[in-house]
Amino acid sequence: MTGVVWLCSCKKEVHLDLDNAGEHIVIEGSVTDAAGPYTVTINRSVDFYADNSYPPVSGAAVRIVDNEGHSDSLIEASPGVYTTTTLQGKPGVTYTLSVQVQDTLYTAVSTMPFPVALDSITFRKAGAFGNKNIRVVPHYQDPPGIKNYYLFNEYINGLLETKDIFVFDDRLSDGKYITRDLRTQDDVMHEGDAVEVQMYCIDEPIFNYFNELDGSGSRGGAFNTAASPANPGSNISNDALGYFSAHTIRARKAIVHIE
Amino acid sequence: MLVESPNAAAVSNAYGFYSISAVAGRYTMVVSFSGYASDSIAVDLKKDTTLSITLEAGVRQLQEAVVTAGRNNNVSRPLMGVQKLSINEIKDVPVIFGEKDILKTLQLLPGVQSAGDGNSGFFVRGGNTDQNLILLDEATVYNPSHLLGFFSTFNSDAIKDVTLYKGATPAEYGGRLSSVLDVKMNDGNNKEYHASGGIGLISSRLNIEGPIEKDKSSFIVSARRTYADVFLKLSKDTSTNQNSLYFYDINAKANLRLSDRDHLYFSGYFGKDNLSFGNTFGIDYGNATGTIRWNHIFNSRLFSNTSLIYSKYNYDITINSGNNNIGITSYIQDLHFKEDMQYYANASNKINFGIDVIDHTTSPGVISATETSSFNPLALQNKHALESAVYFSHDLSLFRRININYGLRATDFAVMGPGDFYTYDKEGNAVDTAVYAGGKVVKNYFNLEPRFSASYKFNNSNSVKVAYTRTTQNLHLLSNSTSANPTDVWIPSSNNVRPEIGDQVSVGYYRNFSDNKYEFSSEVYYRNMQNQIDYKNGAQLIANENVESQVVFGKGRSYGWELFFKKKYGKFNGWVSYTLARTERQFSEINQGSWFPANQDRTHNLSIVGIWKAGKKWTLSADFTYYSGNAVTWPSGKYEVNGQVAFLYANRNTYRMPAYHRLDVGATLQGKKTKKFDSNWNFSIYNLYGRENPYSITFEQDPDNPAKTRALQYALFRWVPSITYNFKF
Repeated sequence: MTGVVWLCSCKKEVHLDLDNAGEHIVIEGSVTDAAGPYTVTINRSVDFYADNSYPPVSGAAVRIVDNEGHSDSLIEASPGVYTTTTLQGKPGVTYTLSVQVQDTLYTAVSTMPFPVALDSITFRKAGAFGNKNIRVVPHYQDPPGIKNYYLFNEYINGLLETKDIFVFDDRLSDGKYITRDLRTQDDVMHEGDAVEVQMYCIDEPIFNYFNELDGSGSRGGAFNTAASPANPGSNISNDALGYFSAHTIRARKAIVHIE
Repeated sequence: MLVESPNAAAVSNAYGFYSISAVAGRYTMVVSFSGYASDSIAVDLKKDTTLSITLEAGVRQLQEAVVTAGRNNNVSRPLMGVQKLSINEIKDVPVIFGEKDILKTLQLLPGVQSAGDGNSGFFVRGGNTDQNLILLDEATVYNPSHLLGFFSTFNSDAIKDVTLYKGATPAEYGGRLSSVLDVKMNDGNNKEYHASGGIGLISSRLNIEGPIEKDKSSFIVSARRTYADVFLKLSKDTSTNQNSLYFYDINAKANLRLSDRDHLYFSGYFGKDNLSFGNTFGIDYGNATGTIRWNHIFNSRLFSNTSLIYSKYNYDITINSGNNNIGITSYIQDLHFKEDMQYYANASNKINFGIDVIDHTTSPGVISATETSSFNPLALQNKHALESAVYFSHDLSLFRRININYGLRATDFAVMGPGDFYTYDKEGNAVDTAVYAGGKVVKNYFNLEPRFSASYKFNNSNSVKVAYTRTTQNLHLLSNSTSANPTDVWIPSSNNVRPEIGDQVSVGYYRNFSDNKYEFSSEVYYRNMQNQIDYKNGAQLIANENVESQVVFGKGRSYGWELFFKKKYGKFNGWVSYTLARTERQFSEINQGSWFPANQDRTHNLSIVGIWKAGKKWTLSADFTYYSGNAVTWPSGKYEVNGQVAFLYANRNTYRMPAYHRLDVGATLQGKKTKKFDSNWNFSIYNLYGRENPYSITFEQDPDNPAKTRALQYALFRWVPSITYNFKF
């Protein structure tokens, strides 16, 4: 309708007077069931109008212990990037991360769920109002009777697609064979592209984290804005931003082709 | 309607019933009603007499009408915070798409705010949109908008008038915290048949009315439909021409006079919106209401009104994506019985009492899915509640200068079985389930709602008023987006959700000038709100059995100062309205438990409306709106997660949207008017100077420079012209 037509022509960049909340510590770490080493990165947030490069935090004491008695002190491989030395992730095991930065101790706990097989990926055209984009469809069997949470990463010609967050839970799909497409907002995939989909089985706090992160962002368009965005609830203590996740990884590759 | 004889004045009720006591003798009665011509009737009073009076509709007569004392209604009535608009008054005010819309015109009044550019949603004195009780011939309208809020559900052809009570509501109304919008449908012409209609760029309307039995009974049917989808169909693009986007609505009313003492009214509304994208996604939604009302006059002092009311809002979504075929449906339905009695004891005492019983059923969601779907079929339990109220109020006049209206409304909200009722821990996990059988009471909420208002008249053109009102609300709308969403969920009070309670105090000064040609008022108000509802971050509101675990409870307060100056009669009329306001919320989970501005908090609101009858042919009009920005939450930094830019938020609602302002102009060209045919052309331009008023501001990684992030502003409407042709025969 008229309004919708008007809408598209009235989009413009504006410069806003945004506060600087100061440098907040951001921790992002994971343990997976793939072979190590696993990485924990620590850096700081920046001002909205600064460049997208984040000052690394060096010299932190980082340690991951599991509930089976293993302990791994991470080494700083490059500034702000800490890697494990001996740890091997295993489904069903609970991992505790501790990060000491100067006087502050940050801790987080995550339990690795059991893996779900990713059978295949296919492609289909989807979208509304004539904007039919190619989307990838993962195929997998959700195990019945237990809560499962999934996160997908989509690599197109080797590059991670970073405009969208793909998380899915089986709240309304328990035990189903799932073929729900990964909903990319933009036209990101084309015939002949090499696509890899990584499916993570994540635990509930990590699902909540990414689900809230997804809901707090602007997913494009005038109407798709959350009324009151907020930082997602992290599983890391002491108000750190970021998350610590123990998850399984299953992956499939295919070349984009639409019949 | 206002009836006045030299010694006594009476205001009729909404159905036109009035009662005047006077000693036998000869009187001249002056009858007036806003938007209609006044009439003088000679009465030779010998015994109890019933007089039915029909006023001529028409603006033309309005210019010539003699100014009568009855026009200082504003000064003498005890009720405050009341705004009344008749369709005749608003028909020349320019609005978007040329579709005259009572809800958009209301937003130009003090204390009423628009929910967004071109939007029919509104906030009253800091209340949320769900805290407005919207009644169409007494039936609750749960979703008062079409097409994402750009049109209201009220077809102006079908509407007689609307009254908005901004908090200080009489005892006969209850169930919402911040306001009551009482919309009355046209009764139809009981003298002759008429058809009228309008053809516009976006929609067309048709209205037919006439007598069923002359002078005794009448009917009216009004319908309209938008046809933007017709243009979509013309598109050669197959994926566009399969899209649809339209709404239609039908209002019908019959008014039967059974005897001098008995009137029967049937009124109904049905509306439907349909939105679909090819065969992959579709949603339709709409309201249906029905009212049967019996007016009975027991004697010249006692009048009763018995109503049976039905109301339903539902939506229906279908999604076909690959082999994922699912449907989601939801509804809320009311069966309502209302008995209202009015007793006119004498010229200075009127008593109003009655009962109200509503049976609410909500179906929060039913999901249907095919075998190949990725989703399971699911039916959430229906929720039942019985809302009952008894009320009483007394209007009295003391020493001719003091008018008082006091009353009490006692409300009981019974949460009923059957169903499972959960208890949640702090994390929102269900820790206990209680199973109740059908008809069993799970929880009872009883509330007493005192209502009081009083006016003191210094003289015929000056008065002060005070009011205190308590209101409660047991149905709550959960909404997590900035725009009106057809899938927003209504939840009743329950073992977890307590009733919202509002207390409002207001004080006002009223002054009329130049023989009531000008009306001025100034009101201040303070409202305290308990048990306000917000949702948790990442709340799952759709098809969630545990939706009550997704909400948090807090407090609210709002206060403000409203100024209103209106020129009511003459070739040039219009008004200026200004509101200075503040609305805040407090939740222990948000902003470390400190008070913060609510989303709809706007400091300044200014509206100016002017209508000029330039001659016999042309009527020119303009309105100007200015308001300061709403409170919003914007990023105060950024960081990176999983290779993506994430925004860092500090406290909620610490930023302000840019100010909004807009000028609209309109012109109506009156065609040749004959006894048989009347027509006019209406031209308007919305947002004449094309300001890009921000509808929303979003944040993203700059696609041209991935090392940067940027803010994008979306504006919806600039220079929206419209032409409508209206006819009547």
